[in-house]
Amino acid sequence: MSERAIIYIVIFAGYIGFMVWGVLKSLRQVESFSDFTTGGHRMGLLLGVGTSVATWVSVASVMGVPGYLYRTGAAAIIGWVSGWFLCTALFPILTYKIRMPKVPMRTFPELLRLRYEPHTDRSPMQITVALLMFVGYFIFTHLQVVGFGIVFNTITGIPYEYAIFGFLLILVLTCSGGFWSVAASDTINAILILFGLVVGCVTVLSATGGVGNIMEAIATTTAPINEGGEPLPPGIMLTATGSFGAGALFSIFISNALGSFVAPHWITRFMAPKNAKAATLQMMWTLLFLVPIFICLIIFGLGAKALLPSLPVGKTTDYIMPLIMDQYAPPIVAALTLVALLAAAVSTANSMLLHCSTSLYYDVYIALHGRKNMDQAQATRSLRFCVMGLGILAVISAIKPPLLLAMGFTYVYGAFGSVFLWAVLLGVYWKKMNRQAAYVSILIGFVTYISGRVTGFVNPMLLSVILSFIGLMLALKFSPPPPLEAYEAFFEEDVSPKTMQTILRIRHEEETQGEKA
Amino acid sequence: MKLALFIWVCTIATSVVLTVIVCKIIEKSKVKRWGATGSLFKYE
Repeated sequence: MSERAIIYIVIFAGYIGFMVWGVLKSLRQVESFSDFTTGGHRMGLLLGVGTSVATWVSVASVMGVPGYLYRTGAAAIIGWVSGWFLCTALFPILTYKIRMPKVPMRTFPELLRLRYEPHTDRSPMQITVALLMFVGYFIFTHLQVVGFGIVFNTITGIPYEYAIFGFLLILVLTCSGGFWSVAASDTINAILILFGLVVGCVTVLSATGGVGNIMEAIATTTAPINEGGEPLPPGIMLTATGSFGAGALFSIFISNALGSFVAPHWITRFMAPKNAKAATLQMMWTLLFLVPIFICLIIFGLGAKALLPSLPVGKTTDYIMPLIMDQYAPPIVAALTLVALLAAAVSTANSMLLHCSTSLYYDVYIALHGRKNMDQAQATRSLRFCVMGLGILAVISAIKPPLLLAMGFTYVYGAFGSVFLWAVLLGVYWKKMNRQAAYVSILIGFVTYISGRVTGFVNPMLLSVILSFIGLMLALKFSPPPPLEAYEAFFEEDVSPKTMQTILRIRHEEETQGEKA
Repeated sequence: MKLALFIWVCTIATSVVLTVIVCKIIEKSKVKRWGATGSLFKYE
């Protein structure tokens, strides 16, 4: 084994040790099902920012974005970086409304159930939304496992097909404690990601000779993406639309901005902070913390083109970061950056798996059984088994990855935006929005987006959003207004006893338990 | 490249502006449970 490989493995082992310590500490905090899913709605700002940054920075950001910068240049800054930043900038519109109720909901499907079907025993809305979420989050987890496999393969030399199984070891650790465990390990991971990316960026700057040299190189390069491939048109990497074209780039931008704006994992994040203002401030500080991370990623992605004009045949652009670090950085610096990439994969995957499992177990299984008083201990135990089972399936599905990391995220975000945008946004801002209109917008959004993707329409999300809005307005015209219990908690400081009773029934809780929450 | 960076900076500015607006709305409501403390950036 080479000296470089030994250093990689030692630093990786140190990372695992640090994670075990964090998880053991946070395990003591798990008390109830609310704790497991949303941290009991009592999260402070510091931990909230830590966990939001780490969830935000996934393999799509740390490996996919440099990959697309390497592939197409400045256009990736508009499509992905600006798209995701605009989404985070718009979050305050939702944060304070979602965290406004005295007893908030615990999952995204539960939120839509309260808003649209507060009086049904078995809510088709809750179950449908949970199943749609399940598919989306399974794809997200799958993409994180792919990223993990690429980096773990670089660190250990184990072939990718076997390296992805290393993901299960870390998954068992982080998911055993639920939300608090995920949040604690996420905060450690956020610090690691920032540190690893800064040292990686310094390496690229010193290897290329600075930003001036990078800009000069990408302004003139015609080197193909892979060795022996088609040469790039000169100057294309500095144009605003790159190789995408304006229509396709706008489609990517809008999917990343409006799609992730209503992504269920973010809506669930807004239920966790202590109050509405903490939820709002959390997202602004998260975004400001992300600025240095993305400056490093942009320098890295463009600098990589100057250092390694074409990738070896058979490697996708997702490999660019590990390849550059392995070839140009001193072993300790490379190891730290690679561990940061692993941290990004793990922190997003555990969060996604938690959402995936919660939607399947709580919003489908429990909702179908319609239990009045849920056994909290049994629910938490079952949820853990669900997380493990789905983790294993995600690893198996990643053996032959079909998508590039960043584009995979864009497709799922586009689907979320098409299906959930109006049901969420109008649900918390417009008292008249009712069940029928929500169903119409979800159905039209889903069908239009899938048809648009299958037929190769240039901007399926925009079309879905327009058609579903027209559909919901027509449905509103011919259907009765919603009951007071459906919207009161999102508009009033104090709610009527009937609304409080409805919320507690939906949460499967006795009134006394609800008061505690 | 300049256009791409300009759009990115605009999104960052939007975040700060929207956060301030929402925090002001919460302060104006004077509801302690929502995080009204009398100070714009304090939540407890």
